[in-house]
Amino acid sequence: MRSLTLWSSKAPIKFRMPTAENLIPIRLDIEVDGQRYKDAFVWNPDDPDSEVINFAKRTVKDLKLPPTFVTQIVQSVQAQLAEFRSFEGQDMHVKEKIVPLKIDLRVNNTVVRDQFLWDVSNFESDPEEFARTLCKDLNIGDPEVGPAIAVAIREQLYEIATQSVSSLREARAGKKGRRGADTFNRPGNSALDLVKYFGSKGSVIRKRKDWYLYEPIVDILSNEEVGALDAREELNAR
Amino acid sequence: MATPPPPTGTLASAAPATPPPPPTGTLASAAPAPPPPPPQSPHTPSTSAVKSEVHAAEAAADSTPIVAAAAAAAAVSYTITIPSCSGWFSWDEIHETERRLLPEFFDGRFSSRNPSVYKYYRDSIIRQFRAQPWRKLTFTEARRGLIGDVGSVRRVFDFLEEWGLINYTPSAKPKERREAAAAKEEEEGETAERKEGPKRLCTNCRSVCGLTCFTTDKADIILCSRCYVRGNYRPGLSNFKRVDNMEELKTEWTDKENLHLLEAIVQYGEEWKKVSEHVGSRSAKDCVVRFIKLPFGEQFLRPIEDGEDNGPNGSYRSNDEVAAEHGGESLKRRRLTPLADASNPIMAQVAFLSGIAGSDLAEASARAAISALHKVHIEKSKFTNDIKVEALLEEAAAKAQSQLEEEQQDVEKSLSDIVEVQMKEIQDKIVHFEALESLLEKEWRQLRYMKDSLFNDQLAILQHQNRAKFTAIEDRTGNKFRTTSDVNIVEKQAN
Repeated sequence: MRSLTLWSSKAPIKFRMPTAENLIPIRLDIEVDGQRYKDAFVWNPDDPDSEVINFAKRTVKDLKLPPTFVTQIVQSVQAQLAEFRSFEGQDMHVKEKIVPLKIDLRVNNTVVRDQFLWDVSNFESDPEEFARTLCKDLNIGDPEVGPAIAVAIREQLYEIATQSVSSLREARAGKKGRRGADTFNRPGNSALDLVKYFGSKGSVIRKRKDWYLYEPIVDILSNEEVGALDAREELNAR
Repeated sequence: MATPPPPTGTLASAAPATPPPPPTGTLASAAPAPPPPPPQSPHTPSTSAVKSEVHAAEAAADSTPIVAAAAAAAAVSYTITIPSCSGWFSWDEIHETERRLLPEFFDGRFSSRNPSVYKYYRDSIIRQFRAQPWRKLTFTEARRGLIGDVGSVRRVFDFLEEWGLINYTPSAKPKERREAAAAKEEEEGETAERKEGPKRLCTNCRSVCGLTCFTTDKADIILCSRCYVRGNYRPGLSNFKRVDNMEELKTEWTDKENLHLLEAIVQYGEEWKKVSEHVGSRSAKDCVVRFIKLPFGEQFLRPIEDGEDNGPNGSYRSNDEVAAEHGGESLKRRRLTPLADASNPIMAQVAFLSGIAGSDLAEASARAAISALHKVHIEKSKFTNDIKVEALLEEAAAKAQSQLEEEQQDVEKSLSDIVEVQMKEIQDKIVHFEALESLLEKEWRQLRYMKDSLFNDQLAILQHQNRAKFTAIEDRTGNKFRTTSDVNIVEKQAN
């Protein structure tokens, strides 16, 4: 356990996902000849590139999609991987930031809405474990909800990580060599001020009036509602 | 505001019960393993997928498993089979094989890839497959329901599929072979396809011939081995030729070819290329196989007769040819005659049966026959007053009897010991309770005594008070009663 130091500027480390395993979220939304394929999953960037092609072929075969999808899938996945790798060589600052993450998704008939705080500097965190536990505790029957939650968490963490890289780059460019440690001490807008909350006067226990904000909500929709929502989404997409 | 979600996942209770695939020709010398406990799948509560684990006689990777007795629990009775090479699988443990082949989960390199995660992947995938065992589970379906990175899920999925723990249908293998063979047949354009097609029906009992069937030239009939042995054919048929389904699918060796083969072997020894040239239409490999199959070929292999071909009649014929042609095969002939003696019909039958059934069964039945004969012999000798044997037998019987009695006594003794111990236990308990009771009694008595003394004290006080006031009011029953005046007096006195 790290000792709780409020001075949070540490030496920058190489970019990686701030989780126990360096896995990245991949989202696919491909449309060919009127057939739409939407998917989201978690990928390990250490897998060789041949994996991408195998995965694409297998998916197309399993879902009986037309073979033109193979190249599309491969391209999309490789593009997202390339984007990730472009960040990889760079440095990012590890700030002791606690960020609220939001879940707001619909998978088949289940709608999940939730909000919780996540420690971005905890490199032992595991979104998959979190998603598994959430589904188990809320008795979510549909097994496809879990992966969607894990992907959503990872996407937000990825966003935060890339932001920290770009902010570090900007700061370096701006300061031109001078180490501006004070600027990094100020937490970002969305992060919580640790001093205020966990300092001597604050309390770890949330106020009762805020409870409703942080409660997970699971709704099961009927098939008509699902149909209506799908139609609306398609309209929005076009 | 979480409403309970409806159970997802397809329910298998609506599926029709499919009969298990018929056992193949291998002997039932393997003991069926007991069925493992059914899985507790949270999202299919109203079904009970029946499982059974099977073992086959051989432990080869591509062995054909024998379906063990399926314990039909509920309406669904689809038996799930897995190959014998995966017999190690169990829901509660992770086996060495899994550790070895999927080391990423077990070497502790990644904190989030640990054995419990592996178990979660494995159990979910297998459960998902067994919820609908008649269809093949695709990787995409599996990974869609699993929380984790698709690379590791894929590796677990591939591992399970390779080892037949999912997507394994045992009927696939022999059917494939037969279908491949049938395809080959059609390509070659054989006219006698019906006879040599892979699926032969016995003309008598209309059942599928397994490994061997018997045909005769006279009547164009195919008989399964059972019908032949039982003699379920119309009288007047003889000259049955044995045909092996699995082996001789192409053509049968004609006499001419046999002749050429034997000539060539004697001439060239073991140079199979030259032998095949001499035979003509057979490859070297075929020649070797054929030679091994011929009755005297065993001399070079094993002494046990196996895979006899063409029956005693055929071998007798070929034997004759050999003798006629070369004359130097007397040794082989001598070896053959006990079995190839077609004049003795019983021996002929025995030869057939031993050929069909295989060596182990033949051995076992021979032994049984010998012991039966021995018994008969003993019976006979009883009548011829062979007292010695009788006495020995009686002695043995008596010994056995006494041993039995001893055992019984032992059992009775141990039973009585157990009963004694139990009684002792109960007695101890009784003693203990008695001690408790006496303690209780004592305490109660003490309490009463104290109560009484308290009463007495109070009474004494009242008496004094009342004597001090007016007249002594004595309440013989000893109930204490306080009037307000008494209370005042008490207070005054206390002050």
